[in-house]
Amino acid sequence: MNVLRVGWLYLKMGVLNELQYRVNFFVQLFQALIQVAVALVVLALVYSHTTTLNGWTQPELLTLMGVQILLGGIIHTFVQPNMGRLMDDVQKGTLDQALTKPEDAQLLVSVREVRIWSLVEVVSGSIVLIVGSSRLQSTLGGLDTLAFLAALSLGAVMLYCFWLVITTGAFWIVRMDHVLELFEGIYATGRFPVGIYPSWMRYGVTFLVPVGFAVTVPAQALTARLHGLTLLGAAGFALALFIFTRWFWRFGLKRYSGASA
Amino acid sequence: MSEPVVRVENLRKTFVVPERDAGMAQALKSLIRRKTRQVHAVEGISFELQPGEVVGFLGPNGAGKTTTLKMLSGLLYPTSGEALVLGHVPSKRQRELLRRITLVMGNRNQLQWDLPALDSFELNRAIYRIPHQQFREMRDELVELLDVGDLVRKPVRNLSLGERMKVEFVGALLHRPQVLFLDEPTIGLDVTMQKRIRSFVAEYNLRHGATVLLTSHYMADVEALCKRVIVIHHGRILFDGPLSALGDTFAAYKTIGVVLEDGATNLESYGDVIHRDGDLVTLRVPKAETSRIAARLLSEQQVLDLTIEEPPIEDVIELVFAQEA
Amino acid sequence: MSVAPYPEVGRVRSFLDFYATMIRTAISSQVQYRVAHYFYMLGMVAEPVIYIVVWTTIAKAHGGSVNGITAGQFAAYYIVWTLVRNMNVVFGAPYWEWRIREGELSGQLLRPLHPINYDIGWFAGSKFVNVVLWIPIGAALYAVFHPTLSPTVLQGVVFFFAIWGAYFLRTFIQSTIGMLNFWTTRGAAVFDLYMTAELLLSGRLVPLKLMPGWVQMISNFFPFKWTFFFPIEALVGNLSTRSLLLGLAAQIGWTIGMVVLFKFAWRAAIKRFSAVGG
Repeated sequence: MNVLRVGWLYLKMGVLNELQYRVNFFVQLFQALIQVAVALVVLALVYSHTTTLNGWTQPELLTLMGVQILLGGIIHTFVQPNMGRLMDDVQKGTLDQALTKPEDAQLLVSVREVRIWSLVEVVSGSIVLIVGSSRLQSTLGGLDTLAFLAALSLGAVMLYCFWLVITTGAFWIVRMDHVLELFEGIYATGRFPVGIYPSWMRYGVTFLVPVGFAVTVPAQALTARLHGLTLLGAAGFALALFIFTRWFWRFGLKRYSGASA
Repeated sequence: MSEPVVRVENLRKTFVVPERDAGMAQALKSLIRRKTRQVHAVEGISFELQPGEVVGFLGPNGAGKTTTLKMLSGLLYPTSGEALVLGHVPSKRQRELLRRITLVMGNRNQLQWDLPALDSFELNRAIYRIPHQQFREMRDELVELLDVGDLVRKPVRNLSLGERMKVEFVGALLHRPQVLFLDEPTIGLDVTMQKRIRSFVAEYNLRHGATVLLTSHYMADVEALCKRVIVIHHGRILFDGPLSALGDTFAAYKTIGVVLEDGATNLESYGDVIHRDGDLVTLRVPKAETSRIAARLLSEQQVLDLTIEEPPIEDVIELVFAQEA
Repeated sequence: MSVAPYPEVGRVRSFLDFYATMIRTAISSQVQYRVAHYFYMLGMVAEPVIYIVVWTTIAKAHGGSVNGITAGQFAAYYIVWTLVRNMNVVFGAPYWEWRIREGELSGQLLRPLHPINYDIGWFAGSKFVNVVLWIPIGAALYAVFHPTLSPTVLQGVVFFFAIWGAYFLRTFIQSTIGMLNFWTTRGAAVFDLYMTAELLLSGRLVPLKLMPGWVQMISNFFPFKWTFFFPIEALVGNLSTRSLLLGLAAQIGWTIGMVVLFKFAWRAAIKRFSAVGG
């Protein structure tokens, strides 16, 4: 498929680019390790004072943490760099370059940048996840794993849509980079099960910024908490969000082209 | 003969820089091991500046001009050799010295970005310990000289490059330094602005008797301001003397501009044809042969007009730099 | 003909004049970026809010308190945390690398004033803006999480001095670490190590009382405790007058130590910069 080919080409270029900066490699590795270490410390602290948190045991929470770090790594590698560049382009008016290429504009602005060093987070998240789920009481069936992968993909799609919607806002309010700072803070809420938050927060963190959906649902799949209905709901939500995002993107694009004429 | 303001003796600066080759394999290799090589930026230069002199430091990119200036302002330690500015060793960065010199670098911004320049001036006042009255007088004088009265109230980020340069100058001279180091001050500016800056520097030198060392690769800067020029290339001084003598030392030729009745005539036998503009043909001829060739032209051709000129200094310098490469 | 230099204003007067001007400049400049600041603050607030929720949940499930800290006290700790966090923002160590690379350092070295004065003055000024911006956020957190907070006048006064002490201490800690950037481009790695140590040993993650005993003991050998935990506890906890005053003295002691360390590091850094050219 063309989508894959374009994506693969950009990935190769991105890798070549990044290898130039050897500093990045070691620093990224180090940072990812520290991030995991700190998260584990928090977990240990919490569980030194309790046995369950909102019904989640320690290995279960470890699994949740792994999912959060893993998904965060995917976002930092594939989504965030593109959104940052898109925001930049809109600010500087250099988006036209991307718009005049024969590929679909949304595809192009979503795959042209990649930050491969953040893949370290994907690796570290996966390790935490595997360690956590290996300590669970219940065993994982094939269906659970499938459900997990499905939920994870849905989560990635949701976060991508969220990011693109916010970035599309740059067509109207040109200075949107502050919002990036907010994201990391809000994404951190995914470190813990959505159920512990007061209801008003829970709704915000599930529907406004789909962190809860994106992180908790896959973790639920791994910890035998997942109701088929929830997964269906997540799929439906992801689909609706994607459609909305596509529409919003084209709406914003029209406005952008009209404005800069 | 009073004490020289700047004294440089056998100044030398060598850098160690990393080397990186292209390609994926090299990129991976460089993750482990790093190659370096030595760059001799300045190779034993010596000169002196007397009070009140305006001296041009001329050379192509990478010649060692900026490196020398940085050593004279204390930002770099020399690898060997001696430098003295106002009797101080610059690298010691003593306060008494810093208060009497200034370094203005073209394209570099030292004022607060988000605020009107006036606010940055106040900061400089406090930093340089300038009494309020003298500060106000100097500031107003500089603002008037550079005609930036309406610009100093705007945030610096809203100014164009040329406007920013002018305002930077004001900030850099508020403390009325005795020695000005100007590093490519007109780079990237349009012609009008370049002229503006040049006349400003000349005026400042006239009014306050400051010593100016100006680096540039624009000959026009040097021609406008400097009676004396130092030519530097590959870290070595090629020439140090009056500007007027520059042509004599390096230019071994003159140009003859001739307008013929029959513009299409081939003049190759008389000299190098370097330019043809309608009926006007420009020839380059060896200096010693000039009058003889001119006489030949007048007798052998139907000449309507003939002029003999010194080559433009730019061309001279360009040839010099090209030769020594 | 030579230029007659100006008569000079006295050193102390100029110094204070500089700081007053710098603070004023910083306030003018930061006010222009208040929207960006707000977003930054909101992002920063997410961290302690998560902790309040987590620890309150645990407390509720265990009879109302954890290690003697009630839900209300957790809320108080983390809300004051947000104020202290805003107040101890300093010129970060990684930015020294940027400063060297962009040539800003060269400009500063040409002037007869130590660059650290710019940093101290600038961030002191931006504090005033930060605190004003923080007030509605603090009020909102107060309304939502019902902290138990009733400080005495002495506690308030000590808190005021402790925040400034924390600011100066953290300035010199990070400036000293920032000096590493003169030798390596991997200063970011060391900085991460420092941030982690600070996170764990300063009370930034959790009130130190919740850390295992050996961690609490180690934290006494590092200055971090005095940049977060002490100012917060001064206002929120029940420290005796003696502890409060001893705490201030400890802050001063650590700050002096870091200033001395910084002076040595700076001298070495400038030697290196002037040899290599930055």
